[in-house]
Amino acid sequence: MGEEEEKKPKAEFKFPPDETGLGIISAVIAVIIVILPGLPAVLKAVGVIFALLWGADSVRKTSKYGLGTGVPSIGVLGMGYGIVGALLGIAFVKFMGPKLGTFSSVAALGGVLLMGVLGYISGVFSNHEKIIAMKIPKLERGMMELGMAGTLAMLLEFSIVAGSLNFADVVDKAINTGLIALMFVLSMMAMFHPYNACLGPDERRPRTLMSSVEISGLLCLILGIVLVATATSLWSGVSLIIFSAIVWIVFYVKFVKACMRESDSVVGTGLIKTIE
Amino acid sequence: MPIEAVAMLFAWMLVIVFLALIACMFEDLESDTGSQSNPNSQVQLAAQVGQVHRFFNKAISGEAPAYAMYCTTAGVIAYVLLLKEIHPILAIPIGAAVGEVFHVIFATTAHIGRTAGSKRFEQPLYLDVLYGHLLPIATHGFMAVLCIVSIAYIQSNLGTLSGYLPVDGVTPLDHPFALPMLAFIWGITVGAIGSSTGDIHYGTEREFQDRPFGEGKRVVYHGKITRYADCGIRTQKDIVGFCAKYGGPCTGMTFGTIILFENWRTLVGMMLGRFLPAATGFSDIAAMLGIVIGLVIGIALIFGNVAFVKWARKRYGPFVGE
Amino acid sequence: MDPITILLVVVVCVIVGGVFASLGVHLLPVGGAPAAMGTATGIATGTIMLMLGAAVTGLFTASTVATFSKNILLVALSGAVGSWIMMGVTMLMANIIYAFGAGVVPVSGRVEVDPITKEPQTPYKTPQCDGHGVPNVSYISGMVGAFIGGFGGAFMYFALLNYAKFEPTMAAIAAIGIFVANAILAAYNIGGTIEGFHDPKFKRLPKALFSCFFVSLFCGVFVGMVAFIGGLI
Repeated sequence: MGEEEEKKPKAEFKFPPDETGLGIISAVIAVIIVILPGLPAVLKAVGVIFALLWGADSVRKTSKYGLGTGVPSIGVLGMGYGIVGALLGIAFVKFMGPKLGTFSSVAALGGVLLMGVLGYISGVFSNHEKIIAMKIPKLERGMMELGMAGTLAMLLEFSIVAGSLNFADVVDKAINTGLIALMFVLSMMAMFHPYNACLGPDERRPRTLMSSVEISGLLCLILGIVLVATATSLWSGVSLIIFSAIVWIVFYVKFVKACMRESDSVVGTGLIKTIE
Repeated sequence: MPIEAVAMLFAWMLVIVFLALIACMFEDLESDTGSQSNPNSQVQLAAQVGQVHRFFNKAISGEAPAYAMYCTTAGVIAYVLLLKEIHPILAIPIGAAVGEVFHVIFATTAHIGRTAGSKRFEQPLYLDVLYGHLLPIATHGFMAVLCIVSIAYIQSNLGTLSGYLPVDGVTPLDHPFALPMLAFIWGITVGAIGSSTGDIHYGTEREFQDRPFGEGKRVVYHGKITRYADCGIRTQKDIVGFCAKYGGPCTGMTFGTIILFENWRTLVGMMLGRFLPAATGFSDIAAMLGIVIGLVIGIALIFGNVAFVKWARKRYGPFVGE
Repeated sequence: MDPITILLVVVVCVIVGGVFASLGVHLLPVGGAPAAMGTATGIATGTIMLMLGAAVTGLFTASTVATFSKNILLVALSGAVGSWIMMGVTMLMANIIYAFGAGVVPVSGRVEVDPITKEPQTPYKTPQCDGHGVPNVSYISGMVGAFIGGFGGAFMYFALLNYAKFEPTMAAIAAIGIFVANAILAAYNIGGTIEGFHDPKFKRLPKALFSCFFVSLFCGVFVGMVAFIGGLI
């Protein structure tokens, strides 16, 4: 049921919109899903996928120019900010809870915005010629987007595991159990692995982004297993596992096929030669 | 608490050290099986300088985040199974197996992604290289991840395993971090060490074995890796056997030594500070003694390095050759 | 203590942690990919990985010590010593592999004479290379850097644990998050590779410290807010 609805928007990703368009679409979808914590876990997984897709796209456009320390660093930076931002987000939810009532999750966006600001500031520091002077075009925007995407993804993952953005629940179920380490490491993988894995002069954006969706599927799969083991309602976990397994299989097969089609040649075995 | 508990603590520490040794050795060998981390830049470069090769280009970020990922995944699965009261002897290997499934998935995407990304250099995608390396990668990685998750399990239950009883619901000496968090921490560390020490043997020596021994690999050699094996064309599998004789064990020893020194100094500090065997309350003396022992070890290491560098310089002499 | 004082203390501790992380990164001898081929001086890995690996080793010991000591200096020093042992063993073993596995003498590429032991460097260097291994000056610089970085990480952890009243796992992951952000900014400042305090790139240090100060300030305020409005203090 949930799976069928969500297939449609992702089918468009064969021809993804440009970087700004993808950013806006992903951000809007992720934000809408964040502020409605009552949604089923499957839809939250869709939000995670979009948020991480946005992050992966930001990593791609930022590290195209060469960072000096490899692609992974900027994804780790995004999730480092993501942790702080998500903690801030759930704290805001608690603070605004009495005033906003059922809409208290809107307050979590405060964390997202503040992380955007912090990301922008660190982008300015890194790019300003009198400070670190990395001279990468649009680094400010890239870091801002990474901070926001990381925070959104982390909030959605909290929301999947804890069922809501209630501070005590999240701390109890998602953070003190150590699950936050898994979210941290797999989210950053979903951000930087696609571009890192597809690096090369013949890198192609749609192919790179497919890999990101595939990794987000894996992340949601593990979260689904955790839900089945810990949550009160078995159905949300099982549906999440089914949904993310389908997402993973579809995009993994697509990615492998695309790579095999687009590589120079696919041979069973063969000798090597030196090309002049 | 009887003195046996202290003996048990030291015994468990040695088990952890042993597991660490195995873990880091297999971590390094796995990174050679899949060509990960820094030496992989040469495998990537080889195609670009016209040297088509049959290496496995496993570009899953650096080893530290990659191992953090496998170990955390394994730790989470083991943790969830332990919550369901499944015995750790079953839970930890199942967790490690899931971690390795992830590893293989990432390895595939990295290899074919990078190969497709260097299309214009006419690097073909050899399917036998792709399929033939996945199992060795998974088995080596399984050993590493299994050991790391076991370390995390032992550490998060150290007090219980040594025979301490809970005080106010918390068993003393059980590590305060959750199991997945410990797996994450040791995953990062094992990756960082495996990449800093073990890669040297692979990158400096084995990747450029047809170049002169005893010198740093010059910039002009970069990308021109040794593509032919003793018999036939070299794949990653030829490399593991070579590195297993020196680079891997050395790397294992590095991590084992670190864990040994770290745990040993803390435990000895606790014992001399009379925090053990009771293990309740607070003891600043214990912390202080641990710090002092650590500082002494570190200073000894500095002198060891000075002596070693001096010896090597004297023995090898200035650079001769072109 | 009243909440405002606690907030201030947390902010100060996070700033100390972030700035120390940045300083530690500048002192580590990191060679990146070329070092893995013996083409450059330093440890053959990325700056952030090495710093993070050292810092979390220290963090582990620091968190053990934090269960039986409430003295911030002792906990932070335990973390610092943990990192310093990790770095010391790693660099020593790296040298052993360079010497016996590749037949290379540790030598610096940026200075002609080792500033500490006064040993000449240039005659031992392979032409067209930028040094190899971890010479004594880089070794000592790396030990100091790891000590400082580990101190920063453990200091931040202790502040989050005992002043902001986070649970241990939460404090650790928040400390790692802030630490890694600062370490990455510092790594961008040095462009990924550095030999130690004798490297000309070390002169860029104030720029990184400036950036990291502000980034840590923000992070500290945010984390303090989490503790404050989350009702932990």
